[in-house]
Amino acid sequence: MIVAGRSGGEGVRLVLEAEEAMLLSELADQVDSVLLLGEADDPALGRLLPNAYPDDATSSREFSRYTRDSLVDGKRQAAQRVRDATAVDDGGDAVVQIELDQSEAWGWLTFLTDLRLILAERVGIIEEGDDAASETRDDYLRAAYEWAGFVQGSMLEVLDPTDS
Amino acid sequence: MTSTLEQLDTDRTTRVASEEPWRTIVWDDPVNLMTYVSYVFRSYFGYPREEAERLMLKVHTEGRAVVATGNREAMERHVEAMHGYGLQATVSRGEP
Repeated sequence: MIVAGRSGGEGVRLVLEAEEAMLLSELADQVDSVLLLGEADDPALGRLLPNAYPDDATSSREFSRYTRDSLVDGKRQAAQRVRDATAVDDGGDAVVQIELDQSEAWGWLTFLTDLRLILAERVGIIEEGDDAASETRDDYLRAAYEWAGFVQGSMLEVLDPTDS
Repeated sequence: MTSTLEQLDTDRTTRVASEEPWRTIVWDDPVNLMTYVSYVFRSYFGYPREEAERLMLKVHTEGRAVVATGNREAMERHVEAMHGYGLQATVSRGEP
Protein backbone atom coordinates (compact mmCIF):
# COMPACT_ATOMS: atom_id res chain seq x y z
CA MET A 1 0.00 0.00 0.00
CA ILE A 2 1.29 3.41 -0.97
CA VAL A 3 -0.24 6.61 0.38
CA ALA A 4 1.01 9.78 -1.31
CA GLY A 5 0.05 13.34 -2.16
CA ARG A 6 -1.58 14.16 -5.47
CA SER A 7 0.50 15.88 -8.09
CA GLY A 8 -2.51 18.01 -9.01
CA GLY A 9 -3.04 19.59 -5.57
CA GLU A 10 -4.97 18.78 -2.39
CA GLY A 11 -6.06 15.30 -1.58
CA VAL A 12 -4.42 11.92 -1.48
CA ARG A 13 -3.42 9.14 -3.85
CA LEU A 14 -3.63 5.50 -2.79
CA VAL A 15 -2.05 2.53 -4.49
CA LEU A 16 -3.28 -0.80 -3.15
CA GLU A 17 -2.20 -4.31 -3.97
CA ALA A 18 -5.14 -6.25 -5.41
CA GLU A 19 -5.22 -8.33 -2.23
CA GLU A 20 -5.37 -5.23 -0.01
CA ALA A 21 -8.13 -3.78 -2.17
CA MET A 22 -10.17 -6.96 -1.86
CA LEU A 23 -9.72 -7.00 1.91
CA LEU A 24 -10.77 -3.36 2.22
CA SER A 25 -13.76 -3.89 -0.06
CA GLU A 26 -14.87 -6.84 2.07
CA LEU A 27 -14.42 -4.88 5.31
CA ALA A 28 -16.33 -1.91 3.87
CA ASP A 29 -19.16 -4.24 2.93
CA GLN A 30 -19.24 -5.56 6.49
CA VAL A 31 -19.38 -2.04 7.94
CA ASP A 32 -22.29 -1.31 5.61
CA SER A 33 -24.03 -4.50 6.81
CA VAL A 34 -23.61 -3.64 10.50
CA LEU A 35 -25.29 -0.29 9.81
CA LEU A 36 -27.95 -1.75 7.54
CA LEU A 37 -28.96 -4.47 9.99
CA GLY A 38 -28.85 -1.99 12.87
CA GLU A 39 -29.34 -4.74 15.45
CA ALA A 40 -30.18 -3.05 18.70
CA ASP A 41 -28.12 -5.47 20.78
CA ASP A 42 -24.97 -5.02 18.66
CA PRO A 43 -22.51 -3.18 20.93
CA ALA A 44 -20.54 -1.99 17.87
CA LEU A 45 -23.53 0.15 16.91
CA GLY A 46 -23.24 1.88 20.28
CA ARG A 47 -19.74 2.95 19.29
CA LEU A 48 -20.89 4.26 15.91
CA LEU A 49 -23.98 5.98 17.30
CA PRO A 50 -23.12 6.98 20.88
CA ASN A 51 -25.61 8.14 23.47
CA ALA A 52 -25.63 11.95 23.37
CA TYR A 53 -27.37 12.23 26.77
CA PRO A 54 -26.12 9.43 29.06
CA ASP A 55 -27.95 10.93 32.06
CA ASP A 56 -31.23 11.84 30.40
CA ALA A 57 -33.18 9.01 28.78
CA THR A 58 -35.85 11.27 27.27
CA SER A 59 -33.40 13.66 25.61
CA SER A 60 -31.34 10.68 24.51
CA ARG A 61 -34.31 9.13 22.70
CA GLU A 62 -35.22 12.46 21.12
CA PHE A 63 -31.67 13.06 19.91
CA SER A 64 -31.48 9.58 18.49
CA ARG A 65 -34.83 9.95 16.73
CA TYR A 66 -33.73 13.14 14.99
CA THR A 67 -30.16 12.21 14.11
CA ARG A 68 -29.93 8.46 13.67
CA ASP A 69 -31.19 8.12 10.10
CA SER A 70 -28.93 10.77 8.63
CA LEU A 71 -25.91 9.53 10.63
CA VAL A 72 -26.52 5.97 9.43
CA ASP A 73 -26.99 7.20 5.84
CA GLY A 74 -23.76 9.19 5.92
CA LYS A 75 -21.77 6.30 7.38
CA ARG A 76 -23.26 3.78 4.95
CA GLN A 77 -22.54 6.06 2.00
CA ALA A 78 -18.90 6.42 3.08
CA ALA A 79 -18.57 2.64 3.45
CA GLN A 80 -20.23 1.98 0.09
CA ARG A 81 -17.91 4.43 -1.67
CA VAL A 82 -14.86 2.70 -0.24
CA ARG A 83 -16.33 -0.69 -1.14
CA ASP A 84 -16.98 0.40 -4.74
CA ALA A 85 -13.63 2.17 -5.16
CA THR A 86 -11.76 -0.93 -4.00
CA ALA A 87 -13.87 -3.49 -5.88
CA VAL A 88 -11.45 -5.54 -7.99
CA ASP A 89 -12.81 -7.14 -11.15
CA ASP A 90 -11.68 -10.58 -12.22
CA GLY A 91 -9.32 -9.12 -14.82
CA GLY A 92 -6.48 -9.67 -12.37
CA ASP A 93 -5.18 -6.13 -11.97
CA ALA A 94 -2.00 -6.14 -9.91
CA VAL A 95 -2.72 -2.83 -8.20
CA VAL A 96 -5.66 -0.53 -7.65
CA GLN A 97 -4.99 3.21 -7.87
CA ILE A 98 -7.37 5.62 -6.20
CA GLU A 99 -7.29 9.42 -6.24
CA LEU A 100 -9.26 11.25 -3.57
CA ASP A 101 -9.90 14.97 -3.28
CA GLN A 102 -10.18 16.56 0.16
CA SER A 103 -13.86 15.78 0.60
CA GLU A 104 -13.57 12.22 -0.70
CA ALA A 105 -10.62 11.73 1.64
CA TRP A 106 -12.84 12.73 4.59
CA GLY A 107 -15.23 9.96 3.58
CA TRP A 108 -12.35 7.49 3.79
CA LEU A 109 -11.12 8.87 7.14
CA THR A 110 -14.55 8.56 8.72
CA PHE A 111 -15.08 5.11 7.20
CA LEU A 112 -11.73 3.93 8.59
CA THR A 113 -12.76 5.30 11.99
CA ASP A 114 -16.08 3.44 11.90
CA LEU A 115 -14.33 0.28 10.75
CA ARG A 116 -11.84 0.50 13.63
CA LEU A 117 -14.63 1.19 16.15
CA ILE A 118 -16.43 -1.96 15.00
CA LEU A 119 -13.27 -4.10 14.95
CA ALA A 120 -12.29 -2.78 18.39
CA GLU A 121 -15.66 -3.84 19.74
CA ARG A 122 -15.35 -7.30 18.13
CA VAL A 123 -11.91 -7.96 19.60
CA GLY A 124 -12.66 -6.21 22.87
CA ILE A 125 -10.24 -3.30 22.71
CA ILE A 126 -11.49 -1.45 25.74
CA GLU A 127 -8.38 -0.12 27.39
CA GLU A 128 -5.42 1.30 25.56
CA GLY A 129 -2.59 -1.15 25.22
CA ASP A 130 -4.83 -4.08 26.15
CA ASP A 131 -3.42 -7.09 24.29
CA ALA A 132 -5.30 -9.84 26.10
CA ALA A 133 -7.24 -11.37 23.19
CA SER A 134 -5.29 -14.01 21.32
CA GLU A 135 -7.63 -16.36 19.47
CA THR A 136 -7.15 -16.88 15.73
CA ARG A 137 -10.24 -14.97 14.69
CA ASP A 138 -9.22 -12.15 16.96
CA ASP A 139 -5.74 -12.16 15.45
CA TYR A 140 -7.24 -11.59 12.02
CA LEU A 141 -9.53 -8.82 13.25
CA ARG A 142 -6.75 -7.27 15.26
CA ALA A 143 -4.46 -7.25 12.22
CA ALA A 144 -7.21 -5.58 10.20
CA TYR A 145 -7.66 -3.05 13.02
CA GLU A 146 -3.96 -2.20 13.08
CA TRP A 147 -3.80 -2.03 9.31
CA ALA A 148 -6.81 0.32 9.09
CA GLY A 149 -5.09 2.53 11.66
CA PHE A 150 -1.91 2.51 9.60
CA VAL A 151 -3.83 3.52 6.46
CA GLN A 152 -5.65 6.30 8.31
CA GLY A 153 -2.45 7.56 9.92
CA SER A 154 -0.67 7.59 6.56
CA MET A 155 -3.54 9.50 4.96
CA LEU A 156 -3.42 12.07 7.77
CA GLU A 157 0.31 12.57 7.28
CA VAL A 158 -0.40 13.52 3.68
CA LEU A 159 -3.57 15.55 4.31
CA ASP A 160 -2.31 17.28 7.45
CA PRO A 161 1.49 17.44 7.46
CA THR A 162 2.65 18.61 10.88
CA ASP A 163 6.05 19.88 9.81
CA SER A 164 4.66 22.73 7.66
CA MET B 1 -33.33 55.86 40.62
CA THR B 2 -31.82 53.39 42.97
CA SER B 3 -34.66 50.95 42.73
CA THR B 4 -34.63 51.16 38.92
CA LEU B 5 -30.95 50.27 38.82
CA GLU B 6 -31.54 47.38 41.14
CA GLN B 7 -34.35 46.20 38.94
CA LEU B 8 -32.07 46.28 35.89
CA ASP B 9 -29.38 44.36 37.72
CA THR B 10 -31.87 41.71 38.76
CA ASP B 11 -33.07 41.40 35.16
CA ARG B 12 -29.57 40.98 33.88
CA THR B 13 -28.80 38.31 36.46
CA THR B 14 -31.95 36.41 35.57
CA ARG B 15 -31.26 36.64 31.86
CA VAL B 16 -27.69 35.42 32.20
CA ALA B 17 -28.81 32.52 34.36
CA SER B 18 -31.47 31.42 31.89
CA GLU B 19 -29.01 31.60 29.00
CA GLU B 20 -26.61 29.34 30.81
CA PRO B 21 -24.65 27.74 28.02
CA TRP B 22 -24.79 24.12 27.05
CA ARG B 23 -21.67 22.17 26.29
CA THR B 24 -20.34 19.77 23.72
CA ILE B 25 -18.10 17.24 25.45
CA VAL B 26 -15.78 14.87 23.62
CA TRP B 27 -14.71 11.76 25.53
CA ASP B 28 -11.54 9.77 25.23
CA ASP B 29 -11.73 6.43 23.51
CA PRO B 30 -8.90 3.96 22.97
CA VAL B 31 -9.54 3.69 19.23
CA ASN B 32 -9.24 7.08 17.59
CA LEU B 33 -5.83 8.33 16.52
CA MET B 34 -4.70 11.54 18.19
CA THR B 35 -3.82 13.04 14.81
CA TYR B 36 -7.35 12.28 13.60
CA VAL B 37 -9.06 13.87 16.60
CA SER B 38 -6.95 17.00 16.27
CA TYR B 39 -7.66 17.20 12.53
CA VAL B 40 -11.41 16.89 13.18
CA PHE B 41 -11.31 19.72 15.75
CA ARG B 42 -9.50 21.97 13.30
CA SER B 43 -11.55 21.11 10.24
CA TYR B 44 -14.98 21.12 11.86
CA PHE B 45 -14.69 23.85 14.53
CA GLY B 46 -12.07 25.88 12.67
CA TYR B 47 -9.76 25.93 15.70
CA PRO B 48 -6.15 26.96 15.07
CA ARG B 49 -3.73 24.04 15.21
CA GLU B 50 -2.50 24.93 18.71
CA GLU B 51 -6.01 25.04 20.22
CA ALA B 52 -7.06 21.84 18.45
CA GLU B 53 -3.98 20.05 19.81
CA ARG B 54 -4.60 21.41 23.31
CA LEU B 55 -8.19 20.11 23.30
CA MET B 56 -7.14 16.77 21.81
CA LEU B 57 -4.49 16.33 24.54
CA LYS B 58 -7.04 17.30 27.19
CA VAL B 59 -9.37 14.58 25.90
CA HIS B 60 -6.48 12.14 25.90
CA THR B 61 -5.07 12.92 29.34
CA GLU B 62 -8.16 13.99 31.30
CA GLY B 63 -10.63 11.67 29.59
CA ARG B 64 -12.83 14.46 28.28
CA ALA B 65 -12.86 18.05 27.13
CA VAL B 66 -15.46 20.74 26.52
CA VAL B 67 -14.95 21.59 22.85
CA ALA B 68 -17.81 24.07 22.43
CA THR B 69 -20.38 25.99 24.47
CA GLY B 70 -23.57 27.72 23.43
CA ASN B 71 -27.27 27.07 23.11
CA ARG B 72 -28.65 23.58 23.22
CA GLU B 73 -29.59 23.37 19.56
CA ALA B 74 -26.10 24.32 18.42
CA MET B 75 -24.53 21.81 20.82
CA GLU B 76 -26.76 19.06 19.46
CA ARG B 77 -25.63 19.91 15.94
CA HIS B 78 -21.99 19.70 17.06
CA VAL B 79 -22.53 16.38 18.82
CA GLU B 80 -24.28 14.96 15.76
CA ALA B 81 -21.31 16.07 13.65
CA MET B 82 -18.84 14.50 16.12
CA HIS B 83 -20.77 11.22 15.93
CA GLY B 84 -20.51 11.48 12.16
CA TYR B 85 -16.74 11.64 12.56
CA GLY B 86 -16.82 8.67 14.91
CA LEU B 87 -15.96 10.58 18.09
CA GLN B 88 -17.70 9.88 21.40
CA ALA B 89 -19.49 13.13 22.20
CA THR B 90 -22.28 14.17 24.57
CA VAL B 91 -24.42 17.23 25.24
CA SER B 92 -24.55 18.59 28.77
CA ARG B 93 -25.80 21.64 30.62
CA GLY B 94 -23.10 23.98 31.87
CA GLU B 95 -22.35 24.32 35.57
CA PRO B 96 -24.46 27.06 37.19
